[in-house]
Amino acid sequence: MSSLSRNHTLKIDPRTELLLLVMANVVAFTQHSVWVEITWVVLLLLLIIVCGCKKAAGKLAVAFGIFLFLQYYVFPNGPKMIASSFTIIVSYARKIFPCLIVGTLILQKTPVREFMVSLRKCHIPQGLIIPLSVTIRYFPALKEEVGYIRDAMKLRDIHGAEKIECLLVPIMISAATTAEELSAAAVTRGIENPAQKTSMIDMKFGVQDFVCLALGAVFCVISIAVG
Amino acid sequence: MIDIKDVSFEYGKEQGTLSRIDLEIRQGECVLLCGESGCGKTTITKLINGLIPHFVEGGTLSGATFVNGMEVAKTEMYHLAEQVGSVFQNPKSQFFNIDSDSEVTFGLENAGAAPSEIRERFEATVSALSIQPLLGRNIFSMSGGEKQSLAFASVYAMNPSVFVLDEPTANLDAEAIDILRQQMIRIKKEGRTVIVAEHRIYFLMDLIDRAIFIQNGKIAQIFTREEFHKISENQRIRMGLRSLVYPTLKLPHADPPGAKVGLSVENLACTIDKQTVFGGINFSAVPGEVLGIIGHNGAGKTTLIRCLCGLLKESHGTVQLDGKAVNVKRRNKASFCVMQDVNHQLFSDSVWNECEVSKPDCPAERIEKILETFELLSFKDRHPMALSGGQKQRLAVATAILSSKYLLVFDEPTSGLDYRRMLEVSDMIKNLKSENRVILIVSHDFEFLNRTCDKIFGMEGCSAERRKSCVGNI
Repeated sequence: MSSLSRNHTLKIDPRTELLLLVMANVVAFTQHSVWVEITWVVLLLLLIIVCGCKKAAGKLAVAFGIFLFLQYYVFPNGPKMIASSFTIIVSYARKIFPCLIVGTLILQKTPVREFMVSLRKCHIPQGLIIPLSVTIRYFPALKEEVGYIRDAMKLRDIHGAEKIECLLVPIMISAATTAEELSAAAVTRGIENPAQKTSMIDMKFGVQDFVCLALGAVFCVISIAVG
Repeated sequence: MIDIKDVSFEYGKEQGTLSRIDLEIRQGECVLLCGESGCGKTTITKLINGLIPHFVEGGTLSGATFVNGMEVAKTEMYHLAEQVGSVFQNPKSQFFNIDSDSEVTFGLENAGAAPSEIRERFEATVSALSIQPLLGRNIFSMSGGEKQSLAFASVYAMNPSVFVLDEPTANLDAEAIDILRQQMIRIKKEGRTVIVAEHRIYFLMDLIDRAIFIQNGKIAQIFTREEFHKISENQRIRMGLRSLVYPTLKLPHADPPGAKVGLSVENLACTIDKQTVFGGINFSAVPGEVLGIIGHNGAGKTTLIRCLCGLLKESHGTVQLDGKAVNVKRRNKASFCVMQDVNHQLFSDSVWNECEVSKPDCPAERIEKILETFELLSFKDRHPMALSGGQKQRLAVATAILSSKYLLVFDEPTSGLDYRRMLEVSDMIKNLKSENRVILIVSHDFEFLNRTCDKIFGMEGCSAERRKSCVGNI
C-alpha cells in the first residue's frame, strides 16, 4: 500500500499512532525544558498537517501559543493574584497538548476497522476487540435514538427533570433489543469462528512509521535524560 | 438440500410453538413461508440457520434438521455460517461496522479467509449485486433500504448455498423492495436455495417455487407456484395473507390549499443543513378526513412530518389550522405523531400512568373511557413495554386523544404487520374520523392506504432529491 493516498496526505499506521500517544505521554510528564516541549509540539503539529488535519492543527497551534503567552508574558508581568491562581492550571494544561495532537490524528484519520485490525495484529484478545468495536458502533446508533426520543418528548410536552427518566426507559429497552438482534446476526456470520481473523486491508509499517517512532524515541530519551 | 424431520419446538411458556414439522427443500429451490404473525414461520427459519438450538435459550426441541448433510443441532454456528446466510427484519441491527466496505467483508474476516480471497469475493459481490453506490459510505447515513441491501451483500460475500430471509421487507419502501427482488432473482439464478418468511407476498409471486402456509405452528398447506397463483381473493383473506398482486392506489388527490377548517399547507419548503429537502408543498386536509402521504425514501416524508408537528421550522410557506397561520411552537402544541417505532414514545411504568403524564389534571373517568375505546382498560396496570405492538400503538394514540391534539400523524403504522393486524390499525384510524381531528398517514403500504384513506398526497415532484445515489437495478 502506498504511503501517499489519493489526496497526497501521509498515512500513518494505527499502531504507530498508538505508540506515539504513549510517547507523547512520556515526554509530557518527564521533560522540564520548555524548548524540548515546543520542538516536540511543533513536530507533532507538522506530522498531523502532512496527514491532512490542517484545520485542527491550526486551532491547536493557536491555543498552544496562547498558553505560552500567558505563562511567559502575562503571569510574570501581570498582577501576582492572577499568576498564583492560574500558573498551575496553565502549565498542566499545556502539558497535555502532545496527547491532544496525537489524539486528534487518531480520531480524524483512522477508520475504526483499521484500528481493530491493528489491535488484532498486536495480539489483543478477540474477546476484548469485539465488545470494543460494537461499543464504538453503538454511539452513532445511540445518537439516532436520542433524536427520536427527544422529538417524542416534545410532542408530549414533557419538560424538566422528567426528561431524564423519559429518555432512559426507551433507550434501555431499545438497547436490549438491539443487543439481542445484533448478536443473532453476529453468530450467523460466524463471529464465533476460532480461526485467526484476517483482513482485506493489509497493514505494514512504512518508512514514515519508522521515522515517527525513531523521532519519538529520541524525544523520550532526551526528556528523560535532560529532565 | 434442507431436510426438516419431524421437528417440534417449544419456546418458554408464552410464545408459540412448532409441532411436527416435516419439510424437504431441494437445492436451488425458492420457498416462501407465509401465515399470520406468530404462526411459526420465523421459528422455522431459525431451525435452518441454527439460531435454534444454538442461540435461542430455554426451548425444547425434538426431531432433527439437516442442511447439506450437516445436522444443525450438532454443528457449530460458525460452520453453518459458511453455508447458510441470514438476512433479518431490522436493517438497523445487522451491521457491526461504521463503514460499508468493512461490513461486506465482515463474515469472511471472521472465517479467516486469505486477504486475496476476501478481495476477490468483495469485488465479485460488488459487481453481482451492483452495490457500487453503497461503497465507502458511513452506514449511519444510509436509508433503511440501503442498509438492507448492504446486509444482503455482506451475506452474499460469504458465498453461502442457502439464504434465509426473515421478513426482509418489513421496513422497506416499494423501490427498496424491488432492489431486494432483483438480488433474489440473481441468487436464484446462481442455484442457491432461498427460504423467505414474509407478509408482503406480491413481489415474490413469480420468484417462488413453493409456498408453505403455516398456521398455529403446523404446516397447514403446501402450494406449488401455480396453485399459489390460483388462490382466490376470498381464500387469501381467509388465510389472513396480504395482497398477492402488486397493489395500486385508487384514491383521489388531496384538496388544494386554502381550507378554512382543518389543515392547509401552502407552498411549504424545508431545509436541513442549508440543503433544500422539499419545496412547493400544497394541500389541505379537513377534519374527519384521512389523508395519506406517499413518496419514496429520501423524498422528505419524515422532514414533512417533523415540520407539520412543529419539530422543525419551515424555511418557506405557511401552515394553517382552521384558517389561521400557526408557527412552529403552536403546531407542536396542536399535533402528535405516532412514530414508526412506538417504543420511543412510551415513557411511564404503567398504561394508566402513561395517560396521566399526558394530561395530569384529567378526571379518571375520561381516562377510563378512552382506554375502554382502545381496548386497553384491562391492561391499565401493565407496563407499556409488556404490551403487544398493536396495543402500544393504540396506547400512543390514546395519549394523543387525551391531550386533545388536533392534528394526528401516523408514520408507517403498518410496517411488518400481517393482514389481520393491518385491518385492526385501519379500523382504529377510521374510528378516529368521528373525533373531528385532522389525520395524516405516511405509508408505503398501498393495500392499507386504499382501505383507510379518503385522499392521497404524493410528494414526488416536490422533493429536491437529497440522495446522492441509489442502488441501480441489476
